[in-house]
Amino acid sequence: MEARPLSIQRSSARQLNNLGVSGPMSSSLPVLPTPLEDTFSKLPNSQQVYMEQELRTRPLAPAPHIPANSGVVGHIFSSSSGLSSDLQYSSASPHEKLPRTTSFISQSSTPIPQTSHSGLPQSSTSSHYTKESSSSWCPESLPGYVDFAANTPVQNSQMEGSSCSGAIVSEEFSKRNDWHEWADQLITDDDPLGSSWNEILADTSMTEMEPKMSYQVPKTPTSMPAHRTQVHQQLPASSTEIRTVVTPSASANNAPAKPRMRWTPELHEAFVEAVNQLGGSERATPKGVLKLMKVEGLTIYHVKSHLQKYRTARYRPDSSEGSSEKRLTPLEEISSLDLKTGIEITEALRLQMEVQKRLHEQLEIQRNLQLRIEEQGKYLQMMFEKQKSGIDMLKGSSSNQENSSTSLAKSELEGTQVDHDKKGSDTANANSTNEESSQPKELDGKQKAPETEAPENAELNVSELSSQPSKRPRTEE
Amino acid sequence: MKFGKRLQQQIEETLPGWRDKFLSYKRLKKLVNLISSSPPPSHRHCVEAEADFVYLLNHEIDKFNAFFMEKEEDFIIKRKELQQRLQRVIDTWGPNGARPSETNCKEDMAEIRKDIVNFHGEMVLLVNYSNINYTGLAKILKKYDKRTGGLLRLLFIQKVLKQPFFTTEVVSKLIKECESTIAQVFPVDEKEIGRREPTIRVTGEGVFRNTVAALLTMQEIRSGSSTRSQFSLPPLDLTDSEFIRTLQMNSPPIPIPIL
Repeated sequence: MEARPLSIQRSSARQLNNLGVSGPMSSSLPVLPTPLEDTFSKLPNSQQVYMEQELRTRPLAPAPHIPANSGVVGHIFSSSSGLSSDLQYSSASPHEKLPRTTSFISQSSTPIPQTSHSGLPQSSTSSHYTKESSSSWCPESLPGYVDFAANTPVQNSQMEGSSCSGAIVSEEFSKRNDWHEWADQLITDDDPLGSSWNEILADTSMTEMEPKMSYQVPKTPTSMPAHRTQVHQQLPASSTEIRTVVTPSASANNAPAKPRMRWTPELHEAFVEAVNQLGGSERATPKGVLKLMKVEGLTIYHVKSHLQKYRTARYRPDSSEGSSEKRLTPLEEISSLDLKTGIEITEALRLQMEVQKRLHEQLEIQRNLQLRIEEQGKYLQMMFEKQKSGIDMLKGSSSNQENSSTSLAKSELEGTQVDHDKKGSDTANANSTNEESSQPKELDGKQKAPETEAPENAELNVSELSSQPSKRPRTEE
Repeated sequence: MKFGKRLQQQIEETLPGWRDKFLSYKRLKKLVNLISSSPPPSHRHCVEAEADFVYLLNHEIDKFNAFFMEKEEDFIIKRKELQQRLQRVIDTWGPNGARPSETNCKEDMAEIRKDIVNFHGEMVLLVNYSNINYTGLAKILKKYDKRTGGLLRLLFIQKVLKQPFFTTEVVSKLIKECESTIAQVFPVDEKEIGRREPTIRVTGEGVFRNTVAALLTMQEIRSGSSTRSQFSLPPLDLTDSEFIRTLQMNSPPIPIPIL
């Protein structure tokens, strides 16, 4: 066995990534987060999952060269130490991806029984990369990985398309047999989060795409864990259906998932109807109401808590808003004149109303603006990606050319958005978005910051992908 | 002034029960600083910090969602409740009601009016809450991207846009409904408008004060920034609301800047 100490600390595992150390080992760190429950004890669930996902998304290079030792696919923990030895590697066996973050790696050396299935949302994202073929993962790709992570959002974005990650995943998975299982697993979004977490945790292997596993793809955890943790089960928004939002409770290591119910006015109407039929809020029982409402997906817990709120509201109207709020009347908020006269009160209320309306108006405007900005950003990003994939197709061309094109594209992306600014925007830039890589001169001083960033990003992006023609999936519309 | 400070201000001015529900901007900023200060991406601290960062982001979003949805539910219930109350008063004391009584009617109506106005205000504050948290998220993500050269922002924001706490349509609808109810049931008497105090001090912790604070803060946040970019919003235009100029926040008094 490796002489390397197994005491993997949060950081030490990091070394795994910088595997210049263990030559062939470097890429193939199958990390099995199985006994995560133990090791992650300090980490809340969602983070664990996040970690998981991180792990998953690090496709390891094919490791035929990795000595297969124990029957244990590298668990995160042992992996760092045994990088070499502990890693169970057989090209046939699925192996874990390298953890991107090692914070959860603790000193456990418990071998993780290798299971071959994992219901990981990540797999879909990594799938993009697994498609690429590349010889082996070279450590030098590592430095780029942070940016790569940045790239992954692009791929991930397609996952956002559906509220059920399972759906998307299955698309991806259809390409790879091994991943069918994962797809199935994933679709268990309906499960209480607790159990799905366990599932993920229990999953020890991300089926590696074997030799096709190209370079390490550090994945941006954000979208994934976030996506995972915020699964919206959006039932069609009709008054008879519920929108249940599944959000993991961050603190719940053990708590079963509490799907958070999002009440709508229509739903409430139905509720009130049912309550009235049953003789009023005092006499109605949750069970009765539930039955009467006949709404799919509504549980008795939802009804119970809602009924409680309802009761409070009816009999103590002012306390239903939260006892901690002092709701002072506008009377006390007016100037020193006699506050008691009706007119004063009215005036005060009117004024208050006016301010509130104004604020609301502005908020709406602001929100719409923000939406538009993001829309445009998304659109431009998509254009950028398309352009990039076009560029990547020319994969033999000099990186210079690529760099300049991509940086141009990126700057165009930024440039167009300058329109949002009230400073005289540079319409030339905006217009040039549609053109193929050609006019570096379009970039002007107004985009100083984005500009300097862009080439840098683009360069790193390009270098990441240089070895494979990455057909970037279209970002979600 | 920087966003962090503005957010802090807003939090201080907000309704007491809401104080801990806002974005932990400072913490996130610290993480970003941490991330960008350890240059090699593979550096252990950097990686840790990044993981923490994302984790925190997700946690914050969960927090917003939970709070928002709960409030939303409360509002839905309350709105129905107010409707029913109004109906009851009209039916009982109103001119066509069972026991018409103008004094009673007026009294109750005044009470209801006050409640409705406060209710309206609270809903607006919730929308403001949503918005300011979104703004904070957008900013911190932009910062992250800038410091680390990542592309986290775009994708993450797409996700955020779909979150319950940002999809405020229902609350907005309720707000508008409220406004029309008020306009209908409590029509404004023109001659009352003329009487206005030169300055109106806004005291206490009521809803009114908070909305004024929110409005001011929003204005300030959006006034010129050193890092204006394609993602920045234009400055807030409140020039036509003269009355706002007359408002003055109490303790400490914050005279409203005239745009």
